[in-house]
Amino acid sequence: MDTRTVGPLLELNKAVPSFEESGLPPVPFSMKLMPGDCMVVEARSSSRATMFADLCSGLVPLDDGAVKFMGLDWAGLHDRELNALRGRIGRITRRPSWPEFLNTHLAITLQQLHHTSRPLDEVVAEAARLGELFGLPGLPVLRPSMLSDADLLRAACVRAFLGRPRLLLLEDPLEASPVELQNPFLSAITDARDRGAGVIWIVRNHAIWQGYRQGITSTWRLADDGLVEVRTA
Amino acid sequence: MSSDEIVDPTVQNDASVRRVLLHLVLPFGSLLLVVGAIIAIGLHSYRSTRTGVVALTHELLGAVQQNISQEVSDYIMPAVAGNTIASGMIAHAPSQVADRVFYSYGAAMLQSVPQLQSFYLGDEDGHFRLITRGPNGKNEERTTFEVRDGKQVYHREFYTIDGVKTGEEYTDATGYDPRKRPWFTKTEGKTETQWTQPYLFPSARQFVMTSSLRFKGANGHTYVFATNISLNELSAFLDHLKVGKTGNAIILDSKGRVMAGRNIMQQAEAAGWDPNKMLLDPKTHPVFARGYDHYRVRGFGPRSFELNNKRYVTIASPLKSSAEGWILLLSAPENDFASFARQSSQQSLQFAGIIIVFSLVLAGFLVRQVRRSERTTRKLAQQGVQITHESAAVQQVASTPRLFDPTAEPLVLTEQLVHVTDAHRASIWRLLHNGAAMICEDSYDQKQDAHSGGFEMSRTELGAFFETIESGDILSVDNAATDERTTQFERLVMRELGTRMLSVYPIHGPKGIVGAVVLEDAHMAPHLLYFVDLMASIAGIRLAETADDAESGHSLPADEVSGAANSAVPLPAPHFDNMLVRAPQVSDVITSGIYPSVAVLVITFSDPVVDGDTETQNLLKLINVLATDVQRISKERGLFAVEVAGHRMICMAGCTAQEDPTAIIRIADAALTMRETFMAALAAANLEPVFAMGLDYGAAFGGAVGEDPKVFNLWGQTVSLAELMAQGASDGGTIQVTDRVYMALRDRYLFRSRGSFFAPHLGLGRAYVLAARR
Repeated sequence: MDTRTVGPLLELNKAVPSFEESGLPPVPFSMKLMPGDCMVVEARSSSRATMFADLCSGLVPLDDGAVKFMGLDWAGLHDRELNALRGRIGRITRRPSWPEFLNTHLAITLQQLHHTSRPLDEVVAEAARLGELFGLPGLPVLRPSMLSDADLLRAACVRAFLGRPRLLLLEDPLEASPVELQNPFLSAITDARDRGAGVIWIVRNHAIWQGYRQGITSTWRLADDGLVEVRTA
Repeated sequence: MSSDEIVDPTVQNDASVRRVLLHLVLPFGSLLLVVGAIIAIGLHSYRSTRTGVVALTHELLGAVQQNISQEVSDYIMPAVAGNTIASGMIAHAPSQVADRVFYSYGAAMLQSVPQLQSFYLGDEDGHFRLITRGPNGKNEERTTFEVRDGKQVYHREFYTIDGVKTGEEYTDATGYDPRKRPWFTKTEGKTETQWTQPYLFPSARQFVMTSSLRFKGANGHTYVFATNISLNELSAFLDHLKVGKTGNAIILDSKGRVMAGRNIMQQAEAAGWDPNKMLLDPKTHPVFARGYDHYRVRGFGPRSFELNNKRYVTIASPLKSSAEGWILLLSAPENDFASFARQSSQQSLQFAGIIIVFSLVLAGFLVRQVRRSERTTRKLAQQGVQITHESAAVQQVASTPRLFDPTAEPLVLTEQLVHVTDAHRASIWRLLHNGAAMICEDSYDQKQDAHSGGFEMSRTELGAFFETIESGDILSVDNAATDERTTQFERLVMRELGTRMLSVYPIHGPKGIVGAVVLEDAHMAPHLLYFVDLMASIAGIRLAETADDAESGHSLPADEVSGAANSAVPLPAPHFDNMLVRAPQVSDVITSGIYPSVAVLVITFSDPVVDGDTETQNLLKLINVLATDVQRISKERGLFAVEVAGHRMICMAGCTAQEDPTAIIRIADAALTMRETFMAALAAANLEPVFAMGLDYGAAFGGAVGEDPKVFNLWGQTVSLAELMAQGASDGGTIQVTDRVYMALRDRYLFRSRGSFFAPHLGLGRAYVLAARR
């Protein structure tokens, strides 16, 4: 458990994404994610879900407003700080994100090796432990293209939860995944939240997160009119 | 910032760029500007001074030149004007007294004008008169050209300056005709004064030239009056003349021959007393030679040039009222005139140097001051961040439920201590039995993110450490291994983690010291006394509560401890253990040993969700059915043993001292059969295939352990790998095997590769899914 950041972890303050750059509706997006929160965002379009995660990561240019992560405005940072700050985000995305020039184990550990001074052994041990948690017999060393879709999804989970991410942007890994993945996934989310991380779980199917309903802090819907909070009974 | 992060995104890099600009570029840029301005002004001043100096030099040289021209003119004028006056006097005098006029004039002039050497008077009839100074230079000598006894002679008469005749003599003058002399012939047809070429008298060391004027006397005869003028005096004058400090002057004729100048006699001697050879020699007069060249090319006027890395100024001007084509050449080093300008420039440079040094010192002070204020600002900002950090930590501690409840674990205290002080490990120790021992309430390791506690230390082991805590003072040691108070603690507790620094904060309770907060490798701890004290105080309240509870004797009586009461009642020995199947060979195993080729199959079941008694009963029945099936299949395949442990089953074959090649085949057959049986049974119960199997083949440790009952157990890497295979199976109901199994069975069974995987302590290996028999 880490000391909690004072104030919201992620804050979208009337952020109007550039439609030309993202395809997201050019309307103000506003929301706050506190440390330890788990927010479900329902998005029918997977490309729009990815762009929303990009928006949270400061990758989408804004026409107006601000997106702040850990109190820092993405627009006010230089590349070096931007990259370092993104090193605090764990992400599972539907967009192809595995480099073909690296083997999977390096692609998984690359983020930690790049952003932190943690010893290699420690990073590998943690990655292997997470691998086992997500149902891999170790840390996969083949190229990502040689892994099955299910194993690649497991590797993506390992990559996202490796280190101590402060924000998790998870584009529905449970959809079309082996049923065994559900428990480790929910367990990893809970652990991360206990450590003060905020979770944005972007889902397409309403049914997927029902098993974790009690743990969800708020539910939102990403629609043409922007980000709308859904009141749940 | 996490201590592992390489870049702290909260620290903006542009601040440092701005800092560099503010700290270095601005002061030094300003300094450079100042220096540049000083240099530019100095250069401009030097140039304008130099231009002024050059102009002044030219003016000075012009003035000198005019002066010299005047001097030369004055020098020569008696000859030129004397000719006119004397000729006028002689022309208008009666012919009888013409001689007397000539001699009177000559005597008077010779006495009063030192440069005049002699006077001639000749006429068209060949008469000739001469008056000159005597050999001693004082008296006079009058010579006439006469014919005596048919011979041409010079009649010389010697007079004192008072006009008293002292003697006479006749010397032969055969062949002499004054009308053929240059001074006479040159005046032919001319009415102005004419000059002859200078000529030298080696004996008298005189350099003489003659001016002559033709006129008509009253008697109608034509006369030529000539004046010899010595140039030696002119040279002496030029010799003494100073142009600037070291410059001098020279007079040349139109052909470049030296007429007058410094050391003229030496030059004449060198030229063999031939005036035509007295040309300007660049070796002896390099500056004049160059100045003369300039004159020849560019005409009269002042010129500047550089010679042998030294600048010179020369001025060439015509000499009026003198012989035709005479040139006055002056030369002087520019320094003679410009030296004060150089001194002025040097002074300017020295002033500029002083200003630059002062500017540098001031810039240094400015840099130092700006850096100090920047450092202070940064420190203040860091303190602000630290205070926010501490406040957040305190809030987190305060929001922890049951913080002061001694029965709840105080995990948040150690965690926040570690995070705020950036320690490797934080632990809270409680003194027991009036300080005879100490127990660790909680210890949190940041690297491992793990809590531990419960270990106890006695005063006999750590006497010095206990005394330090009881003294109530804060102890901070950079190297715990070398401080005698902490050596034992380091050996017992810290060495395992490899920490060096130790900070001990005694916890004060209502009845004195009740324990201590111990921080290992806490780099920030010295700056966070307030926070650590606060945490120690909270821990103190908790420890005081714990001590109260212990003293009030809330511990359970022995007869209420579960199992303790019934221990006296004899029960029949249990007729079951964790072995589901035991081959007869198991009984033969008495000791532990290594089996070279054991096949291990691990079956894991995930926990099913049950809701209600009926479901529980049904599930228990199903488990029983599955267990029975396992027993049956194991016996059919001749497995060595099947061990049940929670939701896992470990099936083993080939536990023999000799290698058993059939073991792996039998167990693979058993695995496939079990999978089919389980699938069918679970499907019948409307359940998902909630099991996974892992299979490995290799050496393992095995043997009987314990006493009464002795239990057979198997362990080693093969078992671990089989468990890992089961744990990491790709889907429910699959059999995942290692590459050793694949190598042994690939001819008999069908496999699907899953890829290569790395596991710490086990290394790199491939995983396969056993699909079916061939």
